[in-house]
Amino acid sequence: MMAISPLTRKKINRFKSISRGYISLLLFCGLILLSLLAEVLISNRAVIVHYQGRFYFPTYGDIIPGTTFGLGYEYETDYRQLARRFKAASAGDWVLMPPVPWNPYENDFIDGEYPPSPPSFDRKHYLGTDTSGRDVLARLMYGFRIAVFFSFALLVVTYTIGVAMGSAMGYWGGKFDLFVQRVIEIWSNVPLLYVIIIISSVMVPSFFILLLIMVVFGWASRTWIMRTVTYKEKEREYVLAARSLGASDARIIFSHIIPNTVSIIVTFAPFSVAEGIIALTSLDYLGFGLPSPTPSWGELLHQGWTNLSAWWIVCSVVVAMVVTLTLVTFIGEAVREAFDPRMHTVYE
Amino acid sequence: MKFMTNLLLVILTLLMALTVACSSDKDKNKAEKAEPLLVVNAPYRAPISKTGPPENLKWLTNESDPVFASPEAVKGGTLHLAITDFPLTFRVVGPDSNSSFRSAILDNQLSLISVHPNTENIIPELATHWAFGDDKKTMYFKLNKNARWSDGMPVTAHDFAYTLEFMRSKHIVAPWYNDYYTQEIDRVIVYDDYTLAVVATKAQPDLHLRVALAPTPSHFYGKLNEHFVEDYNWKIAPNTGPYQIADFQKGKYVEFTRKKDWWGKDLHYFKNRFNVDRVVYTVIRDYSMIWEYFKKAQIDAFGITIPDFWYNKTDTPVVNNGYVHKIWFFNDTQRSATGMWLNQDKPIFADQNVRYAFAHAMNIQKVIDTVLRGDYYRLEQGFVGYGAYTNEDIRARRYDLEKVESYMKQAGWKRGPDGIWEKGDTRFSVDVTYSNEEHTPRLVVLKEEAKKAGVELNLRQLDPAAAFKQILEKKHDVAWMGWSTSLRPQYWEHFHSVNAHKPQTNNITNTDDPEMDRLIETYRNSLDEKEREALSRQIQAKVHQIGCFVPTFMVPYVRQAYWRWWRLPHPPGTKHTEDLFDPFSDVLGGLFWFDQALYDETQQAMKDGVTFPPVTIVDKTYLTGRDDQ
Repeated sequence: MMAISPLTRKKINRFKSISRGYISLLLFCGLILLSLLAEVLISNRAVIVHYQGRFYFPTYGDIIPGTTFGLGYEYETDYRQLARRFKAASAGDWVLMPPVPWNPYENDFIDGEYPPSPPSFDRKHYLGTDTSGRDVLARLMYGFRIAVFFSFALLVVTYTIGVAMGSAMGYWGGKFDLFVQRVIEIWSNVPLLYVIIIISSVMVPSFFILLLIMVVFGWASRTWIMRTVTYKEKEREYVLAARSLGASDARIIFSHIIPNTVSIIVTFAPFSVAEGIIALTSLDYLGFGLPSPTPSWGELLHQGWTNLSAWWIVCSVVVAMVVTLTLVTFIGEAVREAFDPRMHTVYE
Repeated sequence: MKFMTNLLLVILTLLMALTVACSSDKDKNKAEKAEPLLVVNAPYRAPISKTGPPENLKWLTNESDPVFASPEAVKGGTLHLAITDFPLTFRVVGPDSNSSFRSAILDNQLSLISVHPNTENIIPELATHWAFGDDKKTMYFKLNKNARWSDGMPVTAHDFAYTLEFMRSKHIVAPWYNDYYTQEIDRVIVYDDYTLAVVATKAQPDLHLRVALAPTPSHFYGKLNEHFVEDYNWKIAPNTGPYQIADFQKGKYVEFTRKKDWWGKDLHYFKNRFNVDRVVYTVIRDYSMIWEYFKKAQIDAFGITIPDFWYNKTDTPVVNNGYVHKIWFFNDTQRSATGMWLNQDKPIFADQNVRYAFAHAMNIQKVIDTVLRGDYYRLEQGFVGYGAYTNEDIRARRYDLEKVESYMKQAGWKRGPDGIWEKGDTRFSVDVTYSNEEHTPRLVVLKEEAKKAGVELNLRQLDPAAAFKQILEKKHDVAWMGWSTSLRPQYWEHFHSVNAHKPQTNNITNTDDPEMDRLIETYRNSLDEKEREALSRQIQAKVHQIGCFVPTFMVPYVRQAYWRWWRLPHPPGTKHTEDLFDPFSDVLGGLFWFDQALYDETQQAMKDGVTFPPVTIVDKTYLTGRDDQ
């Protein structure tokens, strides 16, 4: 069903030819890939430890207690300290630390100073620390991963429900359409922000609860376009042909109508990603999002505003947001242009 | 963008609400002069007792405790203070009366007797002498014959009898007071105009705290009716204290002036106090705005206890040029029981070893040294600052990985692959319920340090009402909270088994211990002060031994900034002082005074650009029990 048709191939080629969008896509994918490898790049766990002729790879999996390396404690090894110790002992043991040797949760308090502390190459806080002494770069990266995957998950689920619902409304029409339309109208008047504020005041929302709430209130707005398009499509000859061959409603909708209308939906997708990121960030900013100490852009933004003198916090997060949202918007514009049936439209 | 639209909607609604709030008081901006009320009612007369007070009474007084005001103090000047909201009424009972401003009115309403802020002995106020009845529930008083209401009427024993009448009236719409003056105070017996007895409903320890009534001006209120609440909203009731409201403008300011010839001005404990002529409370709705007004000398004193103010915001010209002084004053008053309350009904905390291990896994000192900049102090136990009622020997369990290890091993746990302790299917992973967002940085540090000890804390921030509900329903693992204080420690609510294992009680640790119950019951029933003190200390030791409470921080001081023309005695406050510029409190207020010469000098210096060395006073007179600081 989803084999690449010549038409789709043409669209993809057209997308590739829009270099701004194509480069943005590559960059964005690169960022996501980086964030997936965050544990290797930004972590307090060493990438490789060589100790007494054995190699250890602590990045993933269980903790390795300090006793393993001859340190006198049972909690997780402090690899930064271990690296210094091995260096001093120079007995052939070594530790390879990630480029940023901090995880997003640990507090780095420097004697006689109080966080936030400015960027320092010396301590490898390349973007400084936040008000609790945590590495801003680490929190940005891990926060990005959460925001992007939240947004993708939101996108997939809301579109699945929205598209299915919209097509059903358009295809069956009549009383069903009328009824669901009214339901959606009422439903979309429930103020999402208030709902989230109320819910998060009585319970601590986790990633999936937050996702669920956003889906429950987010799918409705995705139905309208599919409904309209399906109304139009269902009168087309190929649908009539399928129906006269005795295809079921589900088959007609999922095998015939949706593949023929998917391009319209696809053009909206990148913008929805941006919307999802903004929604999660705003909620975190207002303090109704994911529980502390989850790394989050909204929380960083909030810290930045309340500590404007710590410019590195607000600058880092604002730049990160602008870059991400710009990339997504460029991708979105390019997708829209590539899928545009009229080839010569100019988007500003 | 549905979400953004909603956000916008919220902001718009807020803006609209603000505009409405601002416009509503515009038309009322004319100053309303407070007019002295003419006496219109016949004073209330209580029936005179046929028999006099018992013959064998031992009348007591106290004119020998040390005074805490400065003999150098002189009268004069105006103190400008800020309030963030204009009070909704000047009534001190009934709807809307429970605002923070009420204390300014109530503090000028003296009682029969009071308690010395440093020695905690009884000292005279409206009464000159007092005596305890043999039944342990009656106290006898002889009034000061010079005591006058602000309208010149003498204060008589009938005014105290009227207090009961007044407080029990349903017209005041104050159920709590109705109840209190019925359940706690039985009656007032008037022997003559200046002799009376107050009878409590039951024999009790600290009787003097219970029966020290304040008089109510019957000639002002007369017979109460159902219009009381509306009629007395903005009327200025006569009082017996040093100041009276002289002028106000709703929404703008309230001005108190010192009574020219106050009857109490030469009394032993009132001499050299209440020195300023006028005290003006101006409404400034925003906290950071008050700071700006302060820097322009339009407000005279400002609380800077918060580290950000003490360290950063006061790094400003008026302070650095020595025009504004900073003072760090350590007091020794009852400390809130602030910390982590472990729910012993959760299986994980049923084991005492685990509770001890949990306490040793909390690196409170690191939080103090880092997040709190060394400004807070470790709270050693839940009942610090209660004088002889406090067990000074108790030391909170310190962060100690070896002890965690040994307690956990004793309890049969072992470290799991992620370094967290495990026993069967249970991990040592507990939720910490809290509500103040400002506390997140503290908990974040605790969490990271606890991980080293093999304990996982999950931070669960809820809205204050929801958090409190969860805690009162005993659904929490660990509650991060503090209780308000009272003059004597209260144990029954928090630690008696009667209140365990059921919702909506304050025993949030579900402490259920027969020995504890016995101690608490004896404490509650004892009328002997020495015995009560000893029991109180035993109970605290028991709480420590049970280990259901991990005490965290206390702030044993106040920090304030004030303009240099204000002078304070030595020491600048009392053991219980929480505001050095409290103008009215009968117990400990009004110690400061205005120095005209310094005022002129400072004004001239500011005009000429002359500077003084910056001044930071640290007063540790009342700092106790912590030798290292």
